[in-house]
Amino acid sequence: MKTLYILTALGVIAMLAELFRFKKFLLPIVLIGLMGAIASSVRDWNTNIHYYNYMMTFDNYAILFTIVLCVTAFLWFMMSKDFFGSESSKTDHYALVLFALCGAMLMVSYSNMVMLFLGIEILSIPMYVLAGSNKDSLASNEASLKYFLMGAFATGFLLFGITMIYGATGTFDLRSIGITLKSPELIQVWRGAGGTTLLYSGILMMLIGLCFKISAVPFHFWAPDVYTGAPTPVTAFMATIVKTAAFAAFLRLFITCFSGLGNVWMNTIWVLAGLTILLGNITAVYQTSVKRMLAYSSISHAGYMLLAILAMNNHSVGSVLFYAAAYSVATIGAFTVLSIIEKNFELASVDSFSGLAKKNPLLAFAMTISMLSLAGIPPLAGFFGKYYIFTSALQSGYVWLVLIAVLGSLIGVYYYFRMIIKMFSSGTGEVTNIEISTLQKIVLVITILLSILLGIFPDMVISLL
Amino acid sequence: MNTIQSIHINHYILLSAVLFCIGVMGVLFRRNAIIIFMSVELMLNAVNLLLVAFSSYWNDPAGQVFVFFVMVVAAAEVAVGLAILVMIYRNTGSTDIDVLNKLKN
Amino acid sequence: MMQSFTNIMYVCQQSEFIFMQNTALDYLPIVLTFIVAAGFVVLVMFVTHWLGPKRRSKIKDDVFECGIEAQGNARIPFSIKYFLVAILFVLFDVEVIFMYPWAVNFKDLGVRGFIEMGLFIAFFLVGFYYIMKKGALKWE
Repeated sequence: MKTLYILTALGVIAMLAELFRFKKFLLPIVLIGLMGAIASSVRDWNTNIHYYNYMMTFDNYAILFTIVLCVTAFLWFMMSKDFFGSESSKTDHYALVLFALCGAMLMVSYSNMVMLFLGIEILSIPMYVLAGSNKDSLASNEASLKYFLMGAFATGFLLFGITMIYGATGTFDLRSIGITLKSPELIQVWRGAGGTTLLYSGILMMLIGLCFKISAVPFHFWAPDVYTGAPTPVTAFMATIVKTAAFAAFLRLFITCFSGLGNVWMNTIWVLAGLTILLGNITAVYQTSVKRMLAYSSISHAGYMLLAILAMNNHSVGSVLFYAAAYSVATIGAFTVLSIIEKNFELASVDSFSGLAKKNPLLAFAMTISMLSLAGIPPLAGFFGKYYIFTSALQSGYVWLVLIAVLGSLIGVYYYFRMIIKMFSSGTGEVTNIEISTLQKIVLVITILLSILLGIFPDMVISLL
Repeated sequence: MNTIQSIHINHYILLSAVLFCIGVMGVLFRRNAIIIFMSVELMLNAVNLLLVAFSSYWNDPAGQVFVFFVMVVAAAEVAVGLAILVMIYRNTGSTDIDVLNKLKN
Repeated sequence: MMQSFTNIMYVCQQSEFIFMQNTALDYLPIVLTFIVAAGFVVLVMFVTHWLGPKRRSKIKDDVFECGIEAQGNARIPFSIKYFLVAILFVLFDVEVIFMYPWAVNFKDLGVRGFIEMGLFIAFFLVGFYYIMKKGALKWE
């Protein structure tokens, strides 16, 4: 819980940094603060404390996801140092990102619908601003407005769903709702009162709202445009931290609340997951812009993670956690390389990467590892992420869906390998004098190491839950 | 028994659902960004109305406190949304969302 | 759990007698209010037109603007500064909502509640200080 206090304090400090003229030291302060946040959440391990009348529960689930979020944020801050230019308004981005991180933390540790709503909004509102932080670029403006409109629209659905469930059960508390929905005699009493209609429509409305947030097909249409238009570091943040937090929230809600009523929502998620995997992967094949390709690939990864939510057995939490960690690390690596390449090319296409291996082996190697991990090639983290998710889905008997997912990953292999082949081909040498700052080099090395380490010792993470 | 409870809860649900649907239709069919904002606000206010009704129906103040949170968040959202709109108006001279199609392939 | 169970029982019992006496007579006060409100407006409009003397001339009907001739349309986009102040007003204004529940339960919440509200206001003041220093309230 102290993690949240630390992050909030960091946000306020970052807000005041420019006024008190210590913005030069801000990056070290933020990085140290994030380390402190990680340390303090490790200290809370196995304590399971509830805060503010069961508004938040800082159990091991919350702690592990918080650590994943904070580590990703740590890497993100190092990779996007250039994003925080010397221009005066740019220092505010630190504060916005840190407040968004607070929202993400609320989303992984909530145990009350009110906190879920507040978490989503605290995460989203800074993201709307950040997406439009390139004020003079029309693309960035458009991304910002689209993200805002879709986000607000989705929030409306989510709220209506929460209200319906409140109307049916009379409480916002996740545990009470879960208990009410699991006990058959209560359901009997309550069918007479006509509460089921409210409840079912509430669950579906919340599902729609959350699917907008995780960009599952058919609620994904905003994602490619927003990912392309937003500044690259912001896209990296959206693809990693926002997605991880949204999935953690999704999983927590459905496990604690709605697991007793699987017949209401499981078929819906089945179809959503299948569509998301197929459409995300197939559309990604046709993209020339790398950023857009990564956007569609991130949509398809949402589909794989939906599989774990559908499985709803005791492996699903571990598999989502591992998948989110592996995916975040690989995505941060890919976006770091992309943001470096983008200094030379306005909209980096796949062709801009040709001959990169000769010019800059480190970049090419980092990109290769990220791509292999995202594609799910055996020794790397991404493979075990997919492996755990598919196993847990098979255990719950979703054979057909797993077949669709495997088909989807095969399509994925095609476009990830296209990138790798391009980099190692004898290119025209379009890429010239690439400068990489020391921090970015460190990030690249860390992502390579993490992808390999998580792949070699996957049990380290899985056994924690 | 207070005034809110003397009306059957179904009426509140119906009214809120209708308001919510009007909001959704507004978001889907209007092309002016400001009107879309207003439609989103209508959706949120439909939710607020229903929350207050349920809160009274269950004799539980939590719903009303949630309404406060929704209102505050809606205000923050509108502030950010209007700021984004002003930024776009400066660059394009229009608030029509059809102007913004640069990102489509 | 017991809580939610009793709540559900309560709702089930209520669903019968929730149809109260919804006779047309109950709505009479509302109708009366509407009639009085509309009537007052109409009355005042007619009375002012009837009482006020009218002497029209070209100069009198001209748009008055400090003696300078009126130029252009009044419906133009206005200063962005005003917009910024308005937005900030909305933000700060709406947060007062949270003080109502605190004020109502002031005694029950005690010192702890007071400290929490103090912290809340302190966060606000930080925000206020920030916008002041950023020059958002400067009116050129």
